[in-house]
Amino acid sequence: MIEGTILLVDDSPDDVALTLRAFRTNNITNKVDVAPDGEEALNYMLRDAESRPKPVLILLDINLPKVSGLEVLRRIRADERTRYLPVVVLSTSSEDRDIVESYDLGANSYVRKPVVFNEFVDAVKVLGLYWLLVNQSVLAPKGE
Amino acid sequence: MKPSSRHWFAGAVVLQVALGVSAAAAGPAWAGGWRAALVAVTVGNVLILGGIAAVVGRDTANAERSRGDAELNAQASHDQLQELIDNTSAVIYMKRIDDGRYVLVNREWERLFKVGRDQAVDMTDRDVFPLELADQLRANDLGVVTAGRTVQFEETAESDDGLRSYLSVKFPVLDNEGNPYAVCGISTDITDRKQAEQQIQQLNAGLETRVAERTAELEASTRELDAFSYSVSHDLRAPLRSLHGFSQALLDDYNDVLDEVGRGYLDRLQINVKRMGHMIDDLLNLSRATRADLAREPVDLSALAREIMAELSATDPDRVVKSVIADDLRALGDRALLRMVLQNLLANAWKYTAKLEVAKIEVGQTDRHGERVFFVRDDGAGFDTQYASKLFVAFQRLHPTAEFEGNGIGLAIVQRIVRRHGGQVSAESELGHGATFYFTVAAATEGKTR
Repeated sequence: MIEGTILLVDDSPDDVALTLRAFRTNNITNKVDVAPDGEEALNYMLRDAESRPKPVLILLDINLPKVSGLEVLRRIRADERTRYLPVVVLSTSSEDRDIVESYDLGANSYVRKPVVFNEFVDAVKVLGLYWLLVNQSVLAPKGE
Repeated sequence: MKPSSRHWFAGAVVLQVALGVSAAAAGPAWAGGWRAALVAVTVGNVLILGGIAAVVGRDTANAERSRGDAELNAQASHDQLQELIDNTSAVIYMKRIDDGRYVLVNREWERLFKVGRDQAVDMTDRDVFPLELADQLRANDLGVVTAGRTVQFEETAESDDGLRSYLSVKFPVLDNEGNPYAVCGISTDITDRKQAEQQIQQLNAGLETRVAERTAELEASTRELDAFSYSVSHDLRAPLRSLHGFSQALLDDYNDVLDEVGRGYLDRLQINVKRMGHMIDDLLNLSRATRADLAREPVDLSALAREIMAELSATDPDRVVKSVIADDLRALGDRALLRMVLQNLLANAWKYTAKLEVAKIEVGQTDRHGERVFFVRDDGAGFDTQYASKLFVAFQRLHPTAEFEGNGIGLAIVQRIVRRHGGQVSAESELGHGATFYFTVAAATEGKTR
């Protein structure tokens, strides 16, 4: 597995706790930073970008306070520094418009959070395996 | 040249006859209806000319002796004609072309414009009406002369009855040399009809406004429904995830602290959370089946059915189910929604055959009540047909949950989708001997010719 931080953007403390638990269950040991709303996510990735290394994976909820997940996605795709970061939308919604809009805005993947916890653990396992092991990400964007 | 009054009377005789004939032809309603009057006058106009010609002919052919008789007859006929035109609700008048002076008016004209016929013959429209209207009437009269035939106008005139609208039928009157010397007009009051037309227009405009308002209301409530199901999707599922997740955490991390009974409670909790999750998903599907834009494309139902059966087998690999799916089941409709129909019907068939060691599920097409219908048939538990009407109502179930899982939304979804495709769904069963669900949708071949 590649080293590096995973940024979890989610406003529900329960969901954050369960997601961290699913990481542990799957032996995903990467450091996880949490942004509880869209504004903090943008600060983390754009405003304060120089103060820390870029995350290796972003798990992004759509329904977020202040700035919506889709808006966060739009802004980080518009910025040279974060354009190629792997973003997995992790949402409760199975609405077509959310799925279509996420892909339109450049999401790498869209996963609906299952109600049954074991199914969620399985989903996180597959996500971790793919994005942290199998997939080859852009490590040095153009101009850097 | 001023035509002799005799010629005019002669013409009048024939006009009277013509009116009589037309009146008889038009039936008893003629006196009140301006249509009847219009027909009569148009015919009369032609006959006036004929009448003038006849009188001229007689003038040259007959001896001086018969002239007196003719004048007497003509006078009598004139009186009858005057009687006739005085007893109609139409306004009738005749004006000279050269100076616009009145030659003849009827009693209704006298009544409306407060001028007696003796004074009228020395007057023009300018003496009777305001200047602008008078000039308009004169222009219409001259238009008739230029046209040389009967012309209809919509005219207005002010009288004690207020401003009234008239349909004026005007035609030229010819002298014995065939030259027009006067214009005769018959004006029918159409004010009420105009007002009715206006009212209809106003009503129509009002109706359109109301329709637009209702449409806006409907669109608003559709948007609300949309927003509602969106928030259901987000907000109701989130707490369920917490319930399931943390009860799982208890089972995993505190297994040694919990006894059998405690673990059993948590299991029950999880089962119910799962059930509620399915219920929310089904409700969302139901709402989606109603909201979704309907595509019209050829859909291979055979392929869809095979796909779904394969999925069901994969989730339940221990079951032995013989599936018989006919080839070439084609429909015209929305692929995703028709898949939902088959998904629900086949999942039902799968569920209600669960207690059989070897089950059989069929998908095909047949003739039923003279109509080509698709069907999904199983040999499972079936249902009591006396409750068949409850089948397609959301949340109505015919089997206890303990016996067969379910929330009763599946068939409601099926019915909504089939109805949106202009089709019907129905079911047949015998308790313990399987069930057959029939549905219709437009066939793919029909769609191509549309």
